[in-house]
Amino acid sequence: MKRISLHLLAALIGTASIASSFAELSTSALESLIIQEGGRKKPYLVFSEEILRSLTGKTSITLNGPGSPKKEAVDVVTGIWMDPSTVWRGRELILLSNRPLKKHLGLDPSRKLFSWNELVANDVLGQDLLEASESQKRDPRAKLVGIQKEASDVAMRMNLLENLLRGDSFRILPPDAGNEWLAPSPEEMPLASLRGAWNQRKQQLFDRTTEDFKALVALTGAAPPSWRISLEVAYQKAHPFRWAWILYAASGIILLISRGSWERWGYRVAASLASIGFLLQACGLISRVLIAGRPPVTNMYESVIWVAFGTILFALIFELIYKAGSFLLGAVPVAVASLILADSQPVILDRSIHPLTPVLRDNFWLTTHVLSITLSYAAFALALGVAHIALGRIIAGHKASDTLYTYLYKTLQVGVLLLAIGTILGGVWANYSWGRFWDWDPKETWALTALLGYLFLLHGRLTGLWGGFGLAIGAVLAFMSVLMAWYGVNFVLGAGLHSYGFGTGGFPLVITFVAFELLFLLVAFLRRKNTQQRA
Amino acid sequence: MREMSRTRMIAERQKRYPLWRLIHLLGSLKLALLLLSTIAIACAVATFTESRFDSSVARVWIYKAPWFIAWLGVLCINLFAVTLTRWPWQRKHTGFIITHYGIILLLIGAVIGSKFGYEGNVTLRTDGQPQHRIITDRSCLQVESPADSYLYLLPLDTRFLNPSIASPKYLPVPGTSLRIGIDAVSESLVPEPRLVPATGKAAGTALLIGFTSGMMHQSLHVGLGTGEGAPRTHQFFGRASITLAESSSLLPPHDPEVKKPWLDLVPGKEQGTLLYELGRGTKITSTGVLKPDEELALGWADWKLSLLEIAGGRTIASSPAPAEKDPSKKSAGGVPGFHAFLTTPDDQRGEAAWIASGAVVPLTLGRDLVRLGYGLELKNIPFSIALTDFQIPRDEGTETPSDFHANVRFKNLKTGDEKSGEIRMNHPASYPGGLLANMTGFNYKFSQAEWNPQDLKETTLQVLYDPGWLFKWVGSLAICLGITTMFYIRPRS
Repeated sequence: MKRISLHLLAALIGTASIASSFAELSTSALESLIIQEGGRKKPYLVFSEEILRSLTGKTSITLNGPGSPKKEAVDVVTGIWMDPSTVWRGRELILLSNRPLKKHLGLDPSRKLFSWNELVANDVLGQDLLEASESQKRDPRAKLVGIQKEASDVAMRMNLLENLLRGDSFRILPPDAGNEWLAPSPEEMPLASLRGAWNQRKQQLFDRTTEDFKALVALTGAAPPSWRISLEVAYQKAHPFRWAWILYAASGIILLISRGSWERWGYRVAASLASIGFLLQACGLISRVLIAGRPPVTNMYESVIWVAFGTILFALIFELIYKAGSFLLGAVPVAVASLILADSQPVILDRSIHPLTPVLRDNFWLTTHVLSITLSYAAFALALGVAHIALGRIIAGHKASDTLYTYLYKTLQVGVLLLAIGTILGGVWANYSWGRFWDWDPKETWALTALLGYLFLLHGRLTGLWGGFGLAIGAVLAFMSVLMAWYGVNFVLGAGLHSYGFGTGGFPLVITFVAFELLFLLVAFLRRKNTQQRA
Repeated sequence: MREMSRTRMIAERQKRYPLWRLIHLLGSLKLALLLLSTIAIACAVATFTESRFDSSVARVWIYKAPWFIAWLGVLCINLFAVTLTRWPWQRKHTGFIITHYGIILLLIGAVIGSKFGYEGNVTLRTDGQPQHRIITDRSCLQVESPADSYLYLLPLDTRFLNPSIASPKYLPVPGTSLRIGIDAVSESLVPEPRLVPATGKAAGTALLIGFTSGMMHQSLHVGLGTGEGAPRTHQFFGRASITLAESSSLLPPHDPEVKKPWLDLVPGKEQGTLLYELGRGTKITSTGVLKPDEELALGWADWKLSLLEIAGGRTIASSPAPAEKDPSKKSAGGVPGFHAFLTTPDDQRGEAAWIASGAVVPLTLGRDLVRLGYGLELKNIPFSIALTDFQIPRDEGTETPSDFHANVRFKNLKTGDEKSGEIRMNHPASYPGGLLANMTGFNYKFSQAEWNPQDLKETTLQVLYDPGWLFKWVGSLAICLGITTMFYIRPRS
């Protein structure tokens, strides 16, 4: 009895200290502290958001159960660093969202976050990880799949927390020699004084120690230029792409609702809003280029942002020429959907800036080949949008004008030109880096397939085999091949040499989109048949 | 008016001349649509095949299949014919003609490249010899004919033979009436040891032991012998060493610096048994006697040892055997190969044997002896290449390579002229190099392909010799310029 009550007491003290162990010091001074992680030096703010996102899938979480205030990544990560007590092992910090794995491990399927202690105690998980490591030993090149892959992802997150608790992740000390930064031990500066200030809740001391240390690091010359660190902090905080999609969405809504005498004013306001959004997005992209030192098209997240940007870019150019409104109206849904996707799916679309694999470290080829390919996707996405306007009119019982179909044709031309150039440039690059021009790699083949699909569409229009309506239907169907070349090869087929862009997830989302599009086409087709029969 | 008379002229010539009718038929847009759609569908199907099976399947069934190549040929004809249908050309046709001829040029370049060029790789070491031979990506069979003792090279890829015992596939032995019959193929041949009688110094105690792991779903057989020429030790996946000796006094001492686990074996006093000693470093963890049909847990993951056969006056012979029959051996790291025999026109058959990639195997029938070698074709290049330095810069604070720097030295084998080159990612070195060689593709290009994390003195370079390159890049340029002209540059009328 006595032992139990002691336990209870200890537990009570424990919970009391959970609530209070989270010192309420402001961590803003730490934000621009330079830390080396993942092959580059970055601001502490970026580091903590990336780490917390890897751990939990989010950049802010509630620590003390539902209802308690949300804590930002920088506060959580600093909390762990300053006070790496065992309390953290009991907190729900580790993302495990895969349902089959939760079922397999006998965990509550409604939860997404689990504590380190819970997972360590799970024998099934231990067995899975043992098997995964054995099969990796057998064939280090084999990819883990299914539950094994999910389990090893969870283990990776547990390991991440372990490294945070040990303090190994906080590599903030420039070395005397070499380029590997070191993590300070608890006795070392500045960690010793930072922890002292943290535990005694001395904000001023905490801030001063941080500032002094930052100044010291700057003196060593090992730090990146301060403008780059400040820019990255600002970029991380500003969320330029979020503001861009809000402006685009507003522009689209205004375009849709302004009718009659309001139409001209509405168009002007909409075009201005879209232009401001476009500038914001351009600023965001330029920041990314300056931070990373390369074009912003090196992973799925960046290409989604870039395609949204390209779609608006082409729409604005066409609007400058034709002042039609339909380009902008076609581009807005595509751009908004892409940007929302990029903002809301951090696990599938990883926004962190990583060093590139050696083959991609060539800004000339990245700029020429990848930019033209992704811009062609953007043009095709715009064509998809314009085709939707035409088909939407038909579904609504109106006729789509020949001018609209001409616009569609012009948009498709931009895409075909860029895709042809991009694919060929890819061949020339491959001839240099991989030692052959063309070898039927899946990415190459799908770029070609998409190109052939669009050529088929344009040639058929030339012969008069189909008219504007067929062109619109085709623009939607052919976009599925773009999706395959863009997303499918990397996320579904997962084969070939373009493996640096590979990822997982998002499949249900894409399939839903494809199904919705096919349904949309069917409805448009039936509606048109109906109206033709009546006429 | 001129436009109308032109249209009428074009219609007229089709009516009057069958050749023009044929040209218009071959250059028709309908044929173009058929070609575009079928090629697109074939490509799409191929990528799924590749992802579900193997990239070579897609290659053989589609990309390199005769029908696909023929279809691309039809595409060329269509592209060429359609430009003729517009004859006499006008300024507005410029972009159209440049684009269509560009595609033809590109395809011609591809044909020349695959006919007269080749791709291969060469592995170099900083402390190794210069190489003047590259390994191509083509499998071939090397046949030494008994007629003239000459080595014949026959292209052969066993993966697509599909032979069976009932219907073997046959290949001729050049210069003779003999044929090579192939009645089975294997993707994974592993050497299977067995005990064979031996005399003289080769004779000794030999044994066959089996290892099984349930966790790894794997099993393997190891043969050890004390006679001359037989293996006395076996490195178990490089993680443990197994040694056999006639008596325990003959066992080599254990190095205290090497912390690897080991297993020492000595023939038991009782016939057909084995004494074992398990340990790690200099520490012995267990000893005992192993009898046939007993299993011993080794404490190396869940690996278990069993004694399959032990006898005196024997040595170890090993011959390749297909691992497919026994799925537990699949991951043992086999090589491809096939099961072949010699046969005469009157259906006499010689003894069959497994021929594994990389080995030379004699097949006999009566007095005839034919040596067969199977593997990737080697090509001699007219110069040698040596690796003088290889560096791998890393991303800061990590072990991830950020680039690969190889310095190489080329030497012309005829003239002895030397030239140095530097290979980095995206920056290949070429020989003989220079603007003309690089533009025409009469040039050997060396690009970084693979590295060995376990051995930083070694690198593998991809080698490309592509005499079709001139056509490819001129064609590429033409396509890009042509489309731009067609879409955006309008002649003033």
